[in-house]
Amino acid sequence: MSHTVLICDDAIFMRTMVGDILQQAGFDIVGEAETGLQAVEKYKQLRPDLVTMDIVMPDMGGIDAVREITRFDPQAKILMCSAMGQQALVVEAIQAGARDFVVKPFQPSRVLEAVQRVLA
Amino acid sequence: MDTARYAELFLTESREHVSAINHALLELERASDGGRNAGQGHPPADEARRSAIAALFRAVHTIKGMSATMGYTAVATLSHELEALLDWLRRGDAMVNTALMDTLFKAADALESSIERAVSGKAADARIERIAARLRDAVAPATSSAREAPRVLGVTRSRPGRQAGRRRKTPPRPRTRTRASRPEPVATAVPATVIRVRFIADAPLRGARAAMALQRAQTFGEVQAVEPPEHTFSEPAFGQEVTIRVATAVPHATIARSIESVGDVAGVEVEGAPPDSLTPLPAGIGSPPARRSRPSGRHAVGGPGAGGSDVGEDPYRARHVRIDLRRLDALMNLIGELVIARGRLMALTAASEDQALAETVHHSARLIGNLQDEIMTCRMVPVWQVFDRFPRLVRDAARSLGKQVAFEVYGKEIELDRSMLDEIGDPIVHLLRNAVDHGIEAPDVRVAAGKAAEGRLTLSAIRDRSAVLIRVEDDGRGIDRDRVLARARDTGLVDAATSTLTDDEVVRLIARPGFTTADQVTNLSGRGVGIDAVQAKVRSLGGSVDIKSVPGQGTVVTARLPLTLAIMRALLARTGGDTYAFPMAHVDETVSAEGLALASVRGRPVMLLRGEAVPYVRLRELVGVPGGAGPTGGPLAEQHVLVLESGGRRTAVAVDELTGQQDIVVKQFDAARGGLPLFSGATILGDGAPALIVDVSSLI
Repeated sequence: MSHTVLICDDAIFMRTMVGDILQQAGFDIVGEAETGLQAVEKYKQLRPDLVTMDIVMPDMGGIDAVREITRFDPQAKILMCSAMGQQALVVEAIQAGARDFVVKPFQPSRVLEAVQRVLA
Repeated sequence: MDTARYAELFLTESREHVSAINHALLELERASDGGRNAGQGHPPADEARRSAIAALFRAVHTIKGMSATMGYTAVATLSHELEALLDWLRRGDAMVNTALMDTLFKAADALESSIERAVSGKAADARIERIAARLRDAVAPATSSAREAPRVLGVTRSRPGRQAGRRRKTPPRPRTRTRASRPEPVATAVPATVIRVRFIADAPLRGARAAMALQRAQTFGEVQAVEPPEHTFSEPAFGQEVTIRVATAVPHATIARSIESVGDVAGVEVEGAPPDSLTPLPAGIGSPPARRSRPSGRHAVGGPGAGGSDVGEDPYRARHVRIDLRRLDALMNLIGELVIARGRLMALTAASEDQALAETVHHSARLIGNLQDEIMTCRMVPVWQVFDRFPRLVRDAARSLGKQVAFEVYGKEIELDRSMLDEIGDPIVHLLRNAVDHGIEAPDVRVAAGKAAEGRLTLSAIRDRSAVLIRVEDDGRGIDRDRVLARARDTGLVDAATSTLTDDEVVRLIARPGFTTADQVTNLSGRGVGIDAVQAKVRSLGGSVDIKSVPGQGTVVTARLPLTLAIMRALLARTGGDTYAFPMAHVDETVSAEGLALASVRGRPVMLLRGEAVPYVRLRELVGVPGGAGPTGGPLAEQHVLVLESGGRRTAVAVDELTGQQDIVVKQFDAARGGLPLFSGATILGDGAPALIVDVSSLI
């Protein structure tokens, strides 16, 4: 059975792209969230194997969402999606419980590597 | 990867973000003005300022990520610089002054144009570099180091607002989520292990990898030392190596394997000599016990938070698809043809005796109607998609003219057919510019007239029956009757002796083609295109324009638009053997011509309807059909009278025969310029015969 994924990003563009990369690699995209709040809600409802999480989102940023999700489920596997120059935020996200990160612009191979590491 | 197929998505979404940026900039400008008026530190203004900057940052940041992914370097560079400036703004309390606002607005414009250029494959604008430099300069004077290492500043200084709150909540040392689930290792009892991790030189965000390595090290035991220190992980200039000393008895190989899987690791050295074989493995090596067991709730029906949504289809999958507008246009055309065919089929069936056929045809007709409604609904978009750029436009116009304008928009959520909305944008721009330019007075003039220095300008969308009203309202000087009259005399629109015009007449004069009272061409609106251009456009869309103005108090321009361009409900009437279509949106009532009292008011023929004098015309005279008894004003030979309404005014039209209501498919033609001022378009009826569509506003 393929792994289930929840994609959290406020940009449809990014959700589509990440979704395409993961779908082509055989993942099952079970949900999308546009805000941190949605991400937390949907995590609780969908319990996906993997979450991809944008850092900058309206209504609760990605880092606070990581805190909420890992408080609910310490085993949550969250992959941060970050831009260049966000080192401090990524460090904060890792400290908050995110498992790994990828840096935009996304290369499919790097995304999949990070996903494999997180799911390993 | 192939990004071309994402270009359209990129463009659509980037435009939305550019719109959000402009919106937030206006908020920021307002909040900053408010802050100055109320003194620094005024709490509501501070709050508004912060939230505007946060919104700006989010939008710019998203564009940066998307454009970098698409490989649009110019957009990515510009948004990066803009982001750096915003980042600096949101962590400091720098005054947002006019010069800075100007820079931000310019940057927003440059960003927008660079996005459009990038998507259409054009080379980047040469101005981009200049704008980027301005953004850099805006940050530079405050602190020269801010740009090199903005994050360091943020960490070492106290952060304002939310950031500070979040900082405080986070303990200085990272808490490991697994620590609570197992006993604390006793540092003195366990020998120290030194882990040296080297990362790939050009890997991005190596500091974050170091943080991951540290997280893993903490699962093995208590971390005693980290070099370089943990706070440097956040620095952009973080090096290539990190050394962690941890008290643990975990075998080296296990540690090395775990650290290597952090990612971007070039090499790991683990030193120290814990007795590999003697120490029992603590639970949780590499993968702590809490991680090993699968969360049990996921597959369990009614698990925590499942909320009963497990049954049936997953409601969280994407429920939207994006459809090319051309597809919708094609669908709309097809349904249009189908509607015509339905009319024809209904006409044929009416002549038949076959009951089963009639039932089937009626059923199909109803289904076609439903289909038409559905397709129409698909094409409806809220007006804010076009309205959202207007606040910025009004602000710029007011600035350039030295006027103060409070601009408000109502009814943003009202929906209009996509193609209608695309068409109506320019006329609205024209009306808004007119209002700022000619309507609203300069602040000193307003104050002298006893008004507030700041003028009010309102744009509203209102749903009214099967139409949408777009209204532009200002509290400016109103239309100057004397000037209109003088200009009308000069241009021969009225004869020289005319000295009295009703208000309505004055207002309608200015809607005549080529009429303008602007004495000089201003930058904004006086390009020789007056309200007539707006009216021509709106009419070509099947709508009408109404103007009301009170001298000294302001002007209200209302455009009435049908919900869609393509199909309308019409009342069909025959005169002189031809059929004419009257849009139902304008038909108030139909009355029998028999026994109507006719009269004349100020030389114009009127008919008395329940005591009200309504001006009337005879269609056969308008369209030049010979025959029938007498001209307008004489007794009516026609059978029926249509009472039409437009812009609050009524008029009656006498016709020979009414043939009923029907949905017609509108084939537009530019009536105002095409020499057929009475008609806004044509249609093909069910029997294949053509009919002209009467432009009701031109009759009134």
